[in-house]
Amino acid sequence: MVTVDMRPLLLFSAFLRVFLIVYGEWQDKHMEVRYTDVDYFVFSDAADLMASGKSPYERTTYRYSPLLALLLLPNTFLHRSWGKFLFSASDLLVGVFIYTILKKCSVPKNICTYCVMAWLLNPFTFTIGTRGNCEPVVCAIILWIIICLMNGNLLQAAVWYGLVVHFRIYPIIYAPTLVLVLNHHFLRLGQKPVLRIWSSGPSKKPEYSTAATKLNVLVAIKCIFSAERIVFGVISAAVFFFCTGISFYLYKWEFLHEALLYHLTRTDPRHNFSIYFYHIYLHYEREFSVVEKLISFLPQFMVQLVLVLRFAPDLPFCLFVQTVAFVAFNKVITAQYFVWFFCLLPLILPWSNINFKWKGLCCIFLWMGAQTHWLMWGYLLEFKGKNVFVELWMASLVFLAANTCVLVVMISNHTYSPLFQLLKQNSSEQGLKQE
Amino acid sequence: MVPRLTMHLQFLATRNGLRNLTLTSSHRSLFAGIRISIDEEFAAKSLFHSCEVMLVERLPSGVFADPFELQHIQDRGVYGEVAVFGDTNLELPSFLSNRTLVEVHMFFSPDGLLEQKHGLEIKVEVPLHACYQPLDGSGYSAVQFGEPDVFARCRMEKRSSNQSHLFVLTSNGAISYKNPTVWKIPSGVETHAGFVSIVTFLSASLSALVIIVASVFHSNIKLHENVKIS
Repeated sequence: MVTVDMRPLLLFSAFLRVFLIVYGEWQDKHMEVRYTDVDYFVFSDAADLMASGKSPYERTTYRYSPLLALLLLPNTFLHRSWGKFLFSASDLLVGVFIYTILKKCSVPKNICTYCVMAWLLNPFTFTIGTRGNCEPVVCAIILWIIICLMNGNLLQAAVWYGLVVHFRIYPIIYAPTLVLVLNHHFLRLGQKPVLRIWSSGPSKKPEYSTAATKLNVLVAIKCIFSAERIVFGVISAAVFFFCTGISFYLYKWEFLHEALLYHLTRTDPRHNFSIYFYHIYLHYEREFSVVEKLISFLPQFMVQLVLVLRFAPDLPFCLFVQTVAFVAFNKVITAQYFVWFFCLLPLILPWSNINFKWKGLCCIFLWMGAQTHWLMWGYLLEFKGKNVFVELWMASLVFLAANTCVLVVMISNHTYSPLFQLLKQNSSEQGLKQE
Repeated sequence: MVPRLTMHLQFLATRNGLRNLTLTSSHRSLFAGIRISIDEEFAAKSLFHSCEVMLVERLPSGVFADPFELQHIQDRGVYGEVAVFGDTNLELPSFLSNRTLVEVHMFFSPDGLLEQKHGLEIKVEVPLHACYQPLDGSGYSAVQFGEPDVFARCRMEKRSSNQSHLFVLTSNGAISYKNPTVWKIPSGVETHAGFVSIVTFLSASLSALVIIVASVFHSNIKLHENVKIS
């Protein structure tokens, strides 16, 4: 195996992103088809409006927190590419955080670097940031929350969690997982947790393994209102409501509708990877009943519930499978959503028994093949004007099947490894136990 | 007092008629070519120092123009000014959105007009996008374009004067009566609704069940022996 150093990898990745940003500016000026994502112009226009004292929501289709427009204010008075550099820097930061998390679990350096490469050299990820999409910022915050928990910084983790949910609503799905992980026997306020250690050899099934697994669920149910959970919940909720409250005070119902309610109720009839798009289009002229909405939400809810209850202690893996399932069963799926789980994939690779040759490659080809198949029908509909709605919808069913297949393979070949281990009991607890 | 002056309008013929829709996708461009000429009296008086022609496209329900795309075109100097009026919510299907209007301004000099023997030719191409159409049994929805409204506005020579004159140019229905431009846009078929809904929900349920079974009955749960205090 060729050894790759982290520093040259980061330098190369940074150079690649700077090159793409500069190239993107050239393409935007000289070619009909722009390199820059249309969303970036939306963010920039919103920042311009904010800079001139107006509401960023005067820009149609700006459906984000005012924080994003605030971050992009330098687009107005510095250079319009400021945002792209910020997002690409976040992208690089995700790479650094992946390395940090894996090193803390004593994963060997070369494996860490290869896992980081899975993020930094992934074409999806380096084009996302350089085209001006803000998802790398969210990914960086989520990984930072994991690092804070690994360092025992519960308060900081709570602050960042409240902020990221305000910024982008989807991380709310991680709330049950975080609550379960914040178990008094594994994580305590003011005490560093005991972390797992990676091992290359075949892992034995220790005698206490089944008991420990049962203990996690039983203890979780019994200690649902532990101090750690209450503190985390109160602080993250306070930060969320503080940010949301300030935004509402400044921008009123327009903010609430565009930045929050729109995402909670969004149903897009236009073609996208979701299996629901054609169903929504065919029924768009009438309102869906409450029963219909509940039925369509049920698969998502059940999958999330089971994944959380089964895998919560293995935090990075649980977040990963939750995100994959959330995207796969969502009513709208766009390519930028894939970044949400791409940033978590490197964290689980060292614990996966999938060999790159050939199981890993098969999973990659299956997933990309299903996507390419969908894109082919999408091209015929959108660029050739053919009525292929049924074929496109069936391609989205195939894509769901591919996602399910890959997810099942990853679950089946994952070595379950709780991130935090049982803390040593103090003497008073031991005394109580003896009584 | 301004003497009676006349401008003439003629739509240019193309291979596909007087109007043309380029490409064959959900993203097309509506082409309109016009020729403007002036009568001798207009030329003789030379009262105007600058003119602009304004072409107003009243888009039918079912298509829209992206104002930001048009702004980008304007920034590249293709047109003088461009504006979109009406519904700018580009994500709504046509049956929930209102009609829009696109106004394109192009500047020209009356002297330049005089130099052209056969009048001044102006070609305007407006990029358009199709909305999702109402459901139709045939699988396609036909959207017909009417004739654009064409105006010309000329400003007087005297700098202190803000006076300008507006000319309404007509072609006597050359487009609407002779060569209607129709865009056939794919639409959903209502009879698919029941089947699609059932299969969608069954697929989602089956996928969810497979994932749940894989998670619950995953027997290969191994725990790592080694622990580390961070």
